[in-house]
Amino acid sequence: MRRIFAQTRKELTQIIRDRLALTLALGLPLALLMLLGTSISLDVSDMAIVVQDLDDSTASRDFIDSFSASRTFHIVAWPSNRQPEDALRDSRARAALIIPEHFGRDLARGTNSTVQLIVDGTDSNTAKLVQGYTGQIVRAYASQNSGALRVDPVTADVRLWFNPGRVSKKFYGPGIFVLGLSMFPPLLAALAMSKEGEEKTILQVYVSNISAHEFLLGKIFAFMVIAIGEWCLNCVALFTYFGLHLVGDPTPFVVATILYTFTVATFGTLIGAAIPNQAAAIQAVALGGFLLVFLLSGLIFPVANIPASFRWVSNIVWGRYYIEIVRDALLKGGGWSANWFSVLMIAVIGSLFYLLAWRKMRRMQLAA
Amino acid sequence: MEDLHQQNFARRLRSLVAKEFNQIRRDRRLAISLIVPPTLQLLLFGFALNSTVSNLKLGVLDDSRTPQSRELVTTLTESKSFALGGVYLSLNEMSAAIERGDLDAGVVVPYDFARNLQRGKSTSIQMLLNATNANTAEIGQGYAEGIVQMYNQTLLNNGQIHAQFARVGSRDLDRRGTVQLIATFIFNPGLVTSWYIVTGVFGLLLILNSSLIAATAMVKERERGTVEQLLMTPASTAEIIFAKIWPLFLLLNVMIIVALFMIKFAFGTPFRGNLLLVYIGADLCVLCGIGIGTFIATFTRTSQQAMLTSFFVNPPMSSLSGALTPIEAMPKWMQPLTLVNPIRHFSVIARGVLLKGSGFEALWPNFLALVILTAILLSLSVWRFRKQLG
Repeated sequence: MRRIFAQTRKELTQIIRDRLALTLALGLPLALLMLLGTSISLDVSDMAIVVQDLDDSTASRDFIDSFSASRTFHIVAWPSNRQPEDALRDSRARAALIIPEHFGRDLARGTNSTVQLIVDGTDSNTAKLVQGYTGQIVRAYASQNSGALRVDPVTADVRLWFNPGRVSKKFYGPGIFVLGLSMFPPLLAALAMSKEGEEKTILQVYVSNISAHEFLLGKIFAFMVIAIGEWCLNCVALFTYFGLHLVGDPTPFVVATILYTFTVATFGTLIGAAIPNQAAAIQAVALGGFLLVFLLSGLIFPVANIPASFRWVSNIVWGRYYIEIVRDALLKGGGWSANWFSVLMIAVIGSLFYLLAWRKMRRMQLAA
Repeated sequence: MEDLHQQNFARRLRSLVAKEFNQIRRDRRLAISLIVPPTLQLLLFGFALNSTVSNLKLGVLDDSRTPQSRELVTTLTESKSFALGGVYLSLNEMSAAIERGDLDAGVVVPYDFARNLQRGKSTSIQMLLNATNANTAEIGQGYAEGIVQMYNQTLLNNGQIHAQFARVGSRDLDRRGTVQLIATFIFNPGLVTSWYIVTGVFGLLLILNSSLIAATAMVKERERGTVEQLLMTPASTAEIIFAKIWPLFLLLNVMIIVALFMIKFAFGTPFRGNLLLVYIGADLCVLCGIGIGTFIATFTRTSQQAMLTSFFVNPPMSSLSGALTPIEAMPKWMQPLTLVNPIRHFSVIARGVLLKGSGFEALWPNFLALVILTAILLSLSVWRFRKQLG
């Protein structure tokens, strides 16, 4: 036990003395959380649309007003002698609204009038949203203008749970939080471990009376301390800037955090042991810590959207489970019944990493 | 004399470039890093990032239990947007299922649903959506409202409805007509997400990989202490720098071609416009990347330091680019920052040319911005590099 702590203390001293490493450990994750958490969002507002009003009557101008009054759209001018599609081709607008001739006359006569909306489908998600928003505006306009006479037999009364304001920040914040935690502690752990290999200081470890377990645990504890430090700092950001707070039973979150910091620290140590070259180790961690967690953990789009042939990979991406737990703890509050499986999976993946790292150490020791 | 000088210059440059090429040729890792990362990044991003919202698991709590309510539930679950996730008997059970994440949404049909319809009273169903993911909730809400609208239409059309609705729905009444909206999607009518993602990731990978490769290449001489030897040669610092950049630039063109092939053949993205425009834009991007990499290299002594420093540069570059998420979704004050980001301009060019078939007359502002950014980044980095050599 004493030897483990001595090892931990030595690692921590090394990091504190390295300014670049310390910023990577604490400053950069926080900056990343603030930056990405603020900038990543799919909730578009104030999109440019062009309007071609072939009717030019009071009714059509009234209709256009309901668009310019919305927060979602602003109307940009477009010469009437040019095709509205050109505005989309030139990326001047996201959509074009075409109001047919006799729009006002038809409405006054009680005939329905069809308005055409051409949406730039390049960005498929935004295109879907544009369609939804315009539908809402048109429905609101229609119900306003037909007075009390128009009654829909059935209306949908939509309740949004857990994040009623649909604040993207509250969804992406926890994701980026996990991304930072999955990237920087293992990066430092991998660097420290591969440095031992690169500079051959690992030989000193072999000749000392410290066992492979003690050495590994000492290193892992050190980077767990770093990870928990990062975790605390970023939690403050989540609770203040992102406006999140703990919902329900926090014990799954706490237990998962300890297991998760162990998992990422072990992952880094494993990479460092397997690749005794610092530059290559950085790339490996960037791939495992960043790409996998960023893409295959449901950080931006739900895991269920990944094609089935690819999706199974996400079952072994450790970040996926922790993201589920963090989002649950901060938004839903499902407690142990909703989270026990994710906690278990993190523990399983973490122990697997530890086993692999230990075997790698043993083999290196025998080879040396 | 002048002529001789020219000749010497050309010869020196040629041998310097030849030396760089030899170094690159012997570095197998470099050749791998030109092909593997871009391929992997395009495949992973293109396949994994999919925004399609479909088959949302819908829980049903039907308190009405009438043919009418069952028809509504079928209309909801038969659509591709929702899939039946389970039938519940109490609201508590269903909320618990939503909380556990077993369901994405739930619908509650009130006990007086059919009675109200028969009496001609408007009735409402409750739609519960898990809004943890704001985007999915937004799109799910749109789906639900659209489907209910459709259900209303069928009710009105097949006439088995109370007279009051029928009266309102009929045309002979003295009332104003309603506005109907028909939306069509152009450029990507099937709304394929990967077309959008890969054309954005294209610029991202060009900048990130070329800056990384350039940084390691530039820092290598210093790491090994061979810079002094280079400085002893009659070549001027400008020549040394040019000889370093030129082969890198040619080499990184391999990456552009690999990426274009992947975009075309692995994802079936249409190439509607002039490919040359994309190519020129990509070359400008590569030069920007080399500028950024060289700049990073001047601050660092070893290649792993250079790589670590790139962690400070890459995340803001990629998140403030509009390559993966729309710029309009960023906070207002952040949006102007994207104007100084080469990735932003290149993704406008790549999407414009490939997906929309835009021409130079529409894209010249983006080209102009790219040229300016390239010029600034390259001269800044060359200036720093020269200062260090001197």
